[in-house]
Amino acid sequence: MMDSKKTLRIIHAGALQRVVENCLEHFGKQNSGLNVELKGVGSREGAKRLLSGEKYDLIALADQALFSELLVPELVENYFVFATDQIVIAYDRFSKGNKEITQENWVDMLLKPQVSFARSDHHLDPGGYRTLMVWQLAEKFYDRPGLCSTMEASCIPYSKYPKSSDLASALFKGKVDYAFLYSSQAEQFGLQYINLPSKINLSNPAYASFYDQAAVSVESKTPGQNVIIHGKPIEFAIGIANSTKYPELAKAFIDLLTGLEGNLILEESGFIPC
Amino acid sequence: MDDSMINNYEVTIPIERSIQAELLLLLGQQPSHGYELIQRLNEADFKSGEADAATVYRNLRRMDKDGLIKSHWEVGESGPGRRLYELTPQGEASLKVWAQYIAQQKVQLKNFLQEYLLFEASLSERENGVNLI
Repeated sequence: MMDSKKTLRIIHAGALQRVVENCLEHFGKQNSGLNVELKGVGSREGAKRLLSGEKYDLIALADQALFSELLVPELVENYFVFATDQIVIAYDRFSKGNKEITQENWVDMLLKPQVSFARSDHHLDPGGYRTLMVWQLAEKFYDRPGLCSTMEASCIPYSKYPKSSDLASALFKGKVDYAFLYSSQAEQFGLQYINLPSKINLSNPAYASFYDQAAVSVESKTPGQNVIIHGKPIEFAIGIANSTKYPELAKAFIDLLTGLEGNLILEESGFIPC
Repeated sequence: MDDSMINNYEVTIPIERSIQAELLLLLGQQPSHGYELIQRLNEADFKSGEADAATVYRNLRRMDKDGLIKSHWEVGESGPGRRLYELTPQGEASLKVWAQYIAQQKVQLKNFLQEYLLFEASLSERENGVNLI
């Protein structure tokens, strides 16, 4: 029986909510009496919360690059890549044109005046800047100069659905026709989706140098200043805060997430464990 | 490794699992993590098609479970920690079987092509009005 005053605080990407909750079900059985506090956020926002002094024991983010950019070594020493994913275009049975949209015609379908589509906030959420990267890469891949600007101008303002999880929820409720999401989110919400070519969906390390050509300006850790980040294959990572009082407990959670049970939970939630 | 073992292997291994042979060879050459393996596989002259992340990671987990490879977490010096895979003795033996199987396939395919070329020549002679009988 564990000391009931022990509380493990986990901050995680909104996209990882189901994974973290399911892992905690198993973890709770091994650590009865443990209290857990969860905070689901856009990953960029989450890293900045740590920078601003908020205390957590574990940090699970949708972009491994956020650790080296914002947290290592002052706040986190080591972090581990545990899953990958891809950007897809999700829709539901009420979305306009859902019978016609394909991997080949998605650009023209989304740009139809009666069709609405959305992305999350690139300053807060990796899903947001990754969508901008997908549009930049699509411009090159389909040889359609100006495509990214056209998509940005036609998209619902990103401030409306700042996190990927807000976006998935809006789509599920029929507030938007199409949303750029991780395939895992589409799977979890039971949404339909079309896969994009692997050369633009940020899924394949074989195209890392092609993805690197995409670049997005986001708010840096210094208020009022921006930083340019480049496209990379999507990788989710987890780290233990240097300030944790419970390093062994935090490590045990990572062992569960990256072990057989965790791999199964990740797969059931639509991620690719790695 | 005798012929019966190779023939038995041929029956039990579907073609799509040839990616396992490719991954075993790459890991035999050098222990790697999945990210790097996907890059190396797509650069290899022997790849059988575009290797996507899902296929590679799924096969790595399967081979890890089957004891053909083993893995441990490697802490990155300047980047993230990743699971590092390496070949086991069992994996090395499996790779040998694969190599023998592929060599046998190569002979069979060469024989097929030789027969086909003879057939093609006979067709051409027929078209030119030559009676072979």
